[in-house]
Amino acid sequence: MARMADSQALFAAHQDGLFGYLSRAVGERETARDLTQDVFVRILSSATLPPTAEQQRAWVFRIARNLVIDHHRRQKHRQTEPLTADPVSDGRTTSADTAAIVHQALSRLDDDARDVFLMREVSGLSYVEIAEACQLTPDAVRSRIHRTRLQLRAQLTAPIASARAGRLCLHPSPSQSGHRS
Amino acid sequence: MTDVISAFIDNEPFDPVALRDALATPEGREELLDLIALRDVVQPTAMVASVAPSTARPTTRWALAAAAAAMLAVGGYTLGRSLANEQVVATAQITAPAPTSIATFDNWNDTLPAGGN
Repeated sequence: MARMADSQALFAAHQDGLFGYLSRAVGERETARDLTQDVFVRILSSATLPPTAEQQRAWVFRIARNLVIDHHRRQKHRQTEPLTADPVSDGRTTSADTAAIVHQALSRLDDDARDVFLMREVSGLSYVEIAEACQLTPDAVRSRIHRTRLQLRAQLTAPIASARAGRLCLHPSPSQSGHRS
Repeated sequence: MTDVISAFIDNEPFDPVALRDALATPEGREELLDLIALRDVVQPTAMVASVAPSTARPTTRWALAAAAAAMLAVGGYTLGRSLANEQVVATAQITAPAPTSIATFDNWNDTLPAGGN
């Protein structure tokens, strides 16, 4: 019973961050919900939990990352239609346009770069936690995150300019990116 | 630019001298603001469910199947009603045929119950 309670507490602590990461990584909310549940099932079915909170967080995101990799692998097998052309800006960018542009930019990244970036930006993991989850060194995470940011900065000039026109927050918490429909 | 700006906005350890040097230039300050804005842009709050072509979920399929069954039931009922009305109208329009021969009973006798005449 205590093991079940620990697993539930661990999942509850990270489900918003997980869902945010998975939403951006797979690009579909419904799939992200399914994968979030799959993470929970895997946590429950695990015999033991890592000892420290930091290791637990990294472990949960490693499970999520493996599910994302599996998902993309399946998608590649199923994909028969060519990718859509880049959205053309007509000067009236809607939130749906922005979401599509961001999704395309993220999907152009390689798996490692995308996962490292999203775990930091969307889920708020530390470099050490990301390193643990992605089996990299913290220094590699640090440089990869920065490189990915510069790449996305070059691709997302319009959404970034639009965001800069409003008010910004340096550290949005993962709970802000939770289950909003 | 070095990754010191990234480390700074990620609340990770950074070299303050390197950060000062990076932010001493207009490009460095622009980069700082752009990277903070980028974080805002990629948050899933801005995400719309229709970003990717959605696959039909099982619940959607069930709803579609239920709707199709309901439409079939209503359609069948309506069709049955209209056919029944047509039959009533057709029945009302039927007239009895003219007789071709008439049977007459001559020398009619009643038989007593006791068997006598």
